[in-house]
Amino acid sequence: MAHGLLVKNEDNEVLIDSDFIHYHFLGKYTHSSVTQIPDLLGGSDANTYGIGGNSPDQNKGTQNMPSKGEIYVFSVPVNGSTPPMCFIKPTSTGSSAPFTAIILTKQSGSNWEIRVFQSTVTSPSPVLYCFSPLSQVSNSTSTTHGLKTLNSSGVVTFDSRFKPLKAVGGGTITSPGLAHTGSTGSSWTVSLGVNASSVSTSFTTQSSASDLIYYCPSLAHACQQYTHEESDEGIYDWESYAWARSDIWWCFYRSCFRIASTSSFEANYGVFARGHFYEHKADTTNVFAGLILGALTGGVYFAALLAAIVAAGSFTSANVDGGNYLPYENSYRNTSGNAFIISKASYYD
Amino acid sequence: MSYGMEIFDSSGNETFSTTDSTWTLLGVYTSNADTSTNHTGVPIMTTRIVTRIMVDQISGDDESYVHTYSLSGSTLTTTAPSASETVKTVFMVFGK
Repeated sequence: MAHGLLVKNEDNEVLIDSDFIHYHFLGKYTHSSVTQIPDLLGGSDANTYGIGGNSPDQNKGTQNMPSKGEIYVFSVPVNGSTPPMCFIKPTSTGSSAPFTAIILTKQSGSNWEIRVFQSTVTSPSPVLYCFSPLSQVSNSTSTTHGLKTLNSSGVVTFDSRFKPLKAVGGGTITSPGLAHTGSTGSSWTVSLGVNASSVSTSFTTQSSASDLIYYCPSLAHACQQYTHEESDEGIYDWESYAWARSDIWWCFYRSCFRIASTSSFEANYGVFARGHFYEHKADTTNVFAGLILGALTGGVYFAALLAAIVAAGSFTSANVDGGNYLPYENSYRNTSGNAFIISKASYYD
Repeated sequence: MSYGMEIFDSSGNETFSTTDSTWTLLGVYTSNADTSTNHTGVPIMTTRIVTRIMVDQISGDDESYVHTYSLSGSTLTTTAPSASETVKTVFMVFGK
């Protein structure tokens, strides 16, 4: 630094460097709308009723699937190309608190659209504390007290009147691998709820967990499925019958986080999207005639199901991007190296 | 406080001091979808942290990898894990 101001704190960390842009408090925001990814459902029945020995349709839908989380949509008035840093003030903290994370940060005209995903539906809803470089902050102040720095181009880089970002902790966290471990179902009963152990990391102990806010955009996601198939054939009431049914259920999970204690930050998943497709065939014929379904069981049905999912309709009605949300099977992506920063709401309330 | 610096507002409330800690923005770098990129000229501070953001909403039709990265000296090396299913990723490098 040839000229300017450089201030370091007690730990010899840079606190103010007039050469670099500092984030300042923009405001506290509540969501403008709430949405969910619609279920992706489909299937076909053909002559499935009234056929001797046929498997009924009851309890073969989404009855046993885990509940989805909610998506809160925020519009943050920050006009510039540098993304705002939005800290989540969660609805609660502790080992029973829902997991929450930002899943979308997108410039939209003179605002930035932020979407926050929470693993369970709660009231009240999460709140955002947003920060931005001063060049993108239109807030004004009449106070003449404080400290202001400019870089060599004359751009204001720090101004104490606009509540510069203070951090009390931070680091990186790794999300679990699979969201659901162990069996994913039995017979027609699917079991895809999140049961992975939360991954925890520590930060400098604070006095009150409920005062903490965190910045940690979601990166990880996981996708898991359960499939089941049954078939039968026989003679009933002087008719030969045959039926076959194949089902596929799946969940798409997004990583999200919570303040578990005054010194612990945890990562896990919430159910972001889910779906169920099935194929159900049955037929009868006179007991003296041949059956036609025998060759259609097995992998043929699952191939048909997957083809149907790929061709599934879009989700435009719910204001979320279209897709089948089954991009891969029983795996996960982007789990490592998710940076997080902890601050305090009371600094800005 | 026996030494250091405190900044007060007009009401006499302390707004910032050398007992605080913060992260200073050193740079914002964007790696386009499906493309590995080296970003140079990243300022150096004693401690740095790299945050990543998926800029666009994932559609659910693809695997939506984010770029991996390594930061060494003034170079941020970002790698697309998939040549066809890596999303556009914004890197924000902070220092203190």
